[in-house]
Amino acid sequence: MPGLRNFAREKSGRSALRMLVGGLVVAAFAAMAPAQAQEKQVLVLGVDISDARNFDPARMADYSSPITNGAVYDSLVTQKPGEYETVVPSLATAWERLDDGKRLRFTLRDDVMFWDGSPLTAEDVKFSLDRLLNVKDQPAVYASNLEKTEVVDAHTVDLYIKNPSEPIMINLAAPAFAIYSKAMTEAQGGVSTPGAEQEDSATQWLNQNSAGTGPYHMVQWERNAQIMLQKNPNYWGGEVPFERVVIRHIGDSAAQLLALENGDIDAAFNLTTEQLATLEDSADIDIARGLSLDYVYMTLTSGAELNEALAKTENRLAVAHAIDYDGIIEHLMGGNAVRPVNFLPIGVGGSTEELLEQIGYKEDLDKARELLAQAGNPDGFTFQLSYANAAIVGTSYQLLAQKIQSDLARVGITAELNPMDQVQLRTQYTGGETQSVITFWNPPSPEPQLWASASIERVAKRVRWDVPQEVRDVVAAAGAEQDPAKRIELYTEYTQMLQDQGNYILLFQPIYRIATSQAIEDFDLTAAGWQVQMGDIKPAQ
Amino acid sequence: MIRYLITRLASMVVMIVLATLVVFLISHLVPADPILAQLGDMQAANPAMVAAYRARWGLDLPIWQQYFIFLEGLVQGNFGISISTQRPVLDDILQYAPATIELSTIAFLLSVIVGVPLGVIAAVKRDSWIDHLARLLSLVGVSAPTFWLAFVVLALFYGGLQIAPGPGRLDVIYLPPPFVTGLYLVDSALAGQWDVFRNAAAHLVLPSTVLAATTLGLITRTTRAAMLEALGQDYVRVGRAKGLKERTIIVRHALPNALIPVVTLGGLAYAVLLSGTVLTETIFSWPGLGRYTFRSAVSLDFPAIMGITFLVAVVYLVINLIVDLSYALLDPRVVRQ
Repeated sequence: MPGLRNFAREKSGRSALRMLVGGLVVAAFAAMAPAQAQEKQVLVLGVDISDARNFDPARMADYSSPITNGAVYDSLVTQKPGEYETVVPSLATAWERLDDGKRLRFTLRDDVMFWDGSPLTAEDVKFSLDRLLNVKDQPAVYASNLEKTEVVDAHTVDLYIKNPSEPIMINLAAPAFAIYSKAMTEAQGGVSTPGAEQEDSATQWLNQNSAGTGPYHMVQWERNAQIMLQKNPNYWGGEVPFERVVIRHIGDSAAQLLALENGDIDAAFNLTTEQLATLEDSADIDIARGLSLDYVYMTLTSGAELNEALAKTENRLAVAHAIDYDGIIEHLMGGNAVRPVNFLPIGVGGSTEELLEQIGYKEDLDKARELLAQAGNPDGFTFQLSYANAAIVGTSYQLLAQKIQSDLARVGITAELNPMDQVQLRTQYTGGETQSVITFWNPPSPEPQLWASASIERVAKRVRWDVPQEVRDVVAAAGAEQDPAKRIELYTEYTQMLQDQGNYILLFQPIYRIATSQAIEDFDLTAAGWQVQMGDIKPAQ
Repeated sequence: MIRYLITRLASMVVMIVLATLVVFLISHLVPADPILAQLGDMQAANPAMVAAYRARWGLDLPIWQQYFIFLEGLVQGNFGISISTQRPVLDDILQYAPATIELSTIAFLLSVIVGVPLGVIAAVKRDSWIDHLARLLSLVGVSAPTFWLAFVVLALFYGGLQIAPGPGRLDVIYLPPPFVTGLYLVDSALAGQWDVFRNAAAHLVLPSTVLAATTLGLITRTTRAAMLEALGQDYVRVGRAKGLKERTIIVRHALPNALIPVVTLGGLAYAVLLSGTVLTETIFSWPGLGRYTFRSAVSLDFPAIMGITFLVAVVYLVINLIVDLSYALLDPRVVRQ
């Protein structure tokens, strides 16, 4: 029985070992394998997909599902890996601002077909965006600035914007703004008109199939087991490299590593820092890297009712100067992370490592002690540090918290560790009841305004920071600014304001690493929202 | 007998309602907001969306009313809609249950088929090498943590020796057989897809062995102890005195008497297997109920938690009933009382 798993497998390696251990049956099948081994036709990815709840673009709100949706849908515009300040054409070839930015006019490509062979028109764009607005599920909040859509002609569509000073172009590249076929979706009960939140019934079909223009189309989703994609024969971007893509659920990272080493999967998405370290020198396995826009950060409250000491700005800044940031990145992340200055991750809004050099917090124990003395707490103080009992980007919150606890002890600050259940933590944190938390930020789209407004609105409430009007003015001005250089200047000014305030301490922004087999190449990671440029992956030459 | 059955069934209904009530109250007492397990950061800060979600899932109603809605649905065979998957809970359970049932049934059969004979032999050949071997196996099976054992066998037979298939129910190249029962072995056999059958069977070997390890140990030890006691009884001495064959004494006379504690334990073990496979399922990426239960619990998906509670309660009670009824077969005295 064992050994049959290799029947019709593309790879033929290790047959000698199998003959030794598996006996004649294994040998017979291993010998058959090379006959079918010419061209690799199936791409198999090992991913923890247990978080996936649905794949309907108008409803999707999970971490792993955009990997699939990024491969089966296109949006009007897209972003190249590493270039998150600008958008490039995708289904739209050109766009212009009309009526002072109250209307955006998009010209569509005229050679795009959906996977079923029907042509893409402005009607499909209108249908998709209207449905996003009217289904009113989670992704709709990203479109809150979109008033309505209007078809101009078959290949021109206008988007009406409520507030032109709030940027929207980068959001349009996100998976929530996917464009799909009106005909296919309506045939499955899709509704895009007001009332869709009650009447639409296409989600069930969209969870098993896709209606897009991407390089692949979805043919199956078996929950907690696998997702199967088929080549799109009508893809507008040229020949698609694989016949099929299988996204295989492997929840345990050690099992993912074994499957990769055995050649059963071509890429392992969820390995830990230690596991990746063992692969660094491997001759058979490559590691694809990509700077994410996610980060792990720590908050300190301004609420004197919660902690009198933390309510003093000098004490918060003392904490910020007592943390060994390089040690965290070096030892807990194996060097695979960077650190942004404050709430804007490196790669957006002018946030860079140079800026960190200039205005970032640096480990400086003398300065920390000085700040404590200024605050009237020369012997330090005590606060409660809350975090989730969970793993995070290859390490764990527990390790991070312990590291910070020992760092702060050097200047007499005592962090009492308070691990808790994730949802409980979130309840306390969003309720503004925590003194300090370590948590994670994962953006829906690389629009800097999303981070900036969060940091002065909802997150500010969580740390009980009463945000002054001048800070709000700078953020609003940055959002409305059309000139890139001036925009960066404004965001830098805002970042400095956050630094002086000391409520947020950015710990690290991970470089995501995915281990891949040498059977594939051009495996490019992206932080734009869909993790990997699936359409670019090819069989190794 | 009929009266006994009716009383038992009536008490089962009461037990099930009590079990769901307890779980309902505990899960609602957790100081965490279920909305925050479902909504993203921007969404959770949007009052209109939060209100719409609460209203949609009935989370704005008083707790007792939520419980009665659950009971009302239950009576109509409706478990409600899962907040996470946004599908009927019954659909979710029906989808995940076959994978768990297939895995635990194979594991259970494995532990009985190996455990009972091993226990009998260990008792008959007391203090022989086979007795010591059985003791060692039981000890390892009972004491080795499941997640550790699961990973070790996976690393050894899949990673190192490469004679076993990896995680999941089937290799990537096979499609699941046409759905009849959801049990891949049964469905593939019905469809005559013998290659799928062999692959599914191969995928079952490691996880079912790991799962069986704990119950195998328990069953072996219990069988051995019960057999030793039975072999010391007067009727065995009488049988020997009458010149019966040793084989007849063991199989016909001692074993049936020794089976009562084994059946009790076996029934419980099967229920534990059906409801407690979360670690094995995680490591072997097995799309079963364990994983679903875990995710429902951590995301405070109340309808799903309640559906599973109901299911687990029913499984335990039904298995207990079967165990009690089987006493009558094994021991006629039970009926006479």
